[in-house]
Amino acid sequence: MNKILFLLIIFSTISFSQESNSAKSLNLFSPQNIKKFADYLFCQHDYIRASIEYEDFLKSGYNDTAAFKVGMANLEMGNFSIASKKFSNISKISVFYNISKLEYLRANFRTGNFNYYRNLYESENLNRDYKYFFEARELYNFSYLFSDITLPQKKNFLSSFTKEEQPRLNQFYDWKINPPYKNPVTAALLSTVIPGLGKIYTQNYSDGIFAFITVGLLGYLAYSDFHANHNFRGWLFSALGAGFYGGNIYGSAASAQIYNAKISFQFFNDLKNYLEDHNYFVPLINFCK
Amino acid sequence: MKSIFFILIFFAIGPEIFSQGVLEKQFNYAKKLYNEENYFDSITEFKRLLFFDSTGKYKYTADNYIGDAYKAGSKFSNAIIYYTLAEINAQNFNDLFKAKINIIRVNILRRTTNRALQLLDSLNNDRRFLSEKKEIYYWKGWTYIFADEWHKASETFALTDSNKTLQELCEKVDKEKYSVIFAQIISHFIPGSGQFYTGNYLSGILSLAWNGLWGYLAVKAFIDNRIFDGFMITNFLWLRFYNGNLQNSKNFTEEKNLKIVNKALKYLQYDYVGAKP
Repeated sequence: MNKILFLLIIFSTISFSQESNSAKSLNLFSPQNIKKFADYLFCQHDYIRASIEYEDFLKSGYNDTAAFKVGMANLEMGNFSIASKKFSNISKISVFYNISKLEYLRANFRTGNFNYYRNLYESENLNRDYKYFFEARELYNFSYLFSDITLPQKKNFLSSFTKEEQPRLNQFYDWKINPPYKNPVTAALLSTVIPGLGKIYTQNYSDGIFAFITVGLLGYLAYSDFHANHNFRGWLFSALGAGFYGGNIYGSAASAQIYNAKISFQFFNDLKNYLEDHNYFVPLINFCK
Repeated sequence: MKSIFFILIFFAIGPEIFSQGVLEKQFNYAKKLYNEENYFDSITEFKRLLFFDSTGKYKYTADNYIGDAYKAGSKFSNAIIYYTLAEINAQNFNDLFKAKINIIRVNILRRTTNRALQLLDSLNNDRRFLSEKKEIYYWKGWTYIFADEWHKASETFALTDSNKTLQELCEKVDKEKYSVIFAQIISHFIPGSGQFYTGNYLSGILSLAWNGLWGYLAVKAFIDNRIFDGFMITNFLWLRFYNGNLQNSKNFTEEKNLKIVNKALKYLQYDYVGAKP
């Protein structure tokens, strides 16, 4: 009996010490638990809550991982200026300092103010000693494609990219130098000579054929009416034909502008997709293994 | 001997009681935030509870609350994720049924009608929920309301027996609603009659007059052997007004129907007391 009692006491003591420890750790709002919870939210992609929790945790003392993840969460949420500020505050002694600088540049790139971004990059005076010098330079060179400033020589432009990246970048470069735009004046002139030809030039084939038939038919009706001395109908169809003819010239120029806007949109979309696929040339850090 | 035994029991389960207290406190705190309609913070606190609840005791309830909070904030996809988690963590048929119905209700709200009907049909065919048929029909009726199928809604509510209010409302709406097809068909034969059918008499008279005038002139031109004039009047004037009359009858009917439906939905939103999606 005494043995049993002794065993029970030992068991309950162990149980007590274990449970009391777990009970202690069940302070849900202790800094460590806040961080654990924030990490969980971060990995669940609930960035807004993760960022709030990390900020809360940081009140208890500086932690570079948490500070960096606040920046990442804001970057993911599209709060680029906040993210930029958070990355710029990462301490120089932190292991995240180098990557933060790169993220800082990425956040500024993503604001879409490329002139500001380029000035910022240049003011950083990054050299080859910087761990992510090449990645930063890749993004910097890529920004040429988004802005209206003169591009460097193709060789110089491509040299900052890897061999695998160069063929696609070469295509982007060529597009930027010589965009396959359609000239609105040419489109208008073509439609002046042959109604509808301007629209066909802008690859708007059905409109072009329709315009050609309509103007041709109205012209024929006007001609045949004048020929048969039906002057009123002749003038009526002439006026209608002239209206369609003029409208088609204007429409061809507009069609060229629409065509240009479309391919321009497609180009910038391709650039964005390329950057997304390559994570803006920033090495991926997986916090959620 | 007895007292030693009790002391041992206390030491063994005491900490457990204490730790449960913390979680329970957290649950009540999150629930309070939810009741105060502070949905954002309530979701955070329920998520915190779930994260630290190693026992899984609050899984179902917290998932449901998170789903409700997301739903209240119109984050329907997130709501469905958490209701699905609640469904996975349901401990009994009652909870399982409730979670499934919550998913259906979100589908009704976001008008993913086919999905709602699909889920309702699978519930209906599930032998575990034979006793819940009435509720299944009830939500099926609501699905049809949100899909603007009032006749089907009325028929479905009739199967629930107890919901005469909704059945009568749906029947009333179905009867009051105008038929777009009928309006267009009669407008094909007598221009303007579609407008008369929806009570837009002035528009109906104007439509009839314009079509009468251009029709007369076109026919007269053909009779007088002025074929070209006949074609011109028919093409540029008569057909134009004729098509306008058809379009108008369709627009007026849809406009009237929208008013009738909105009135019914307003009643359901503000005055109807029963469960709503």
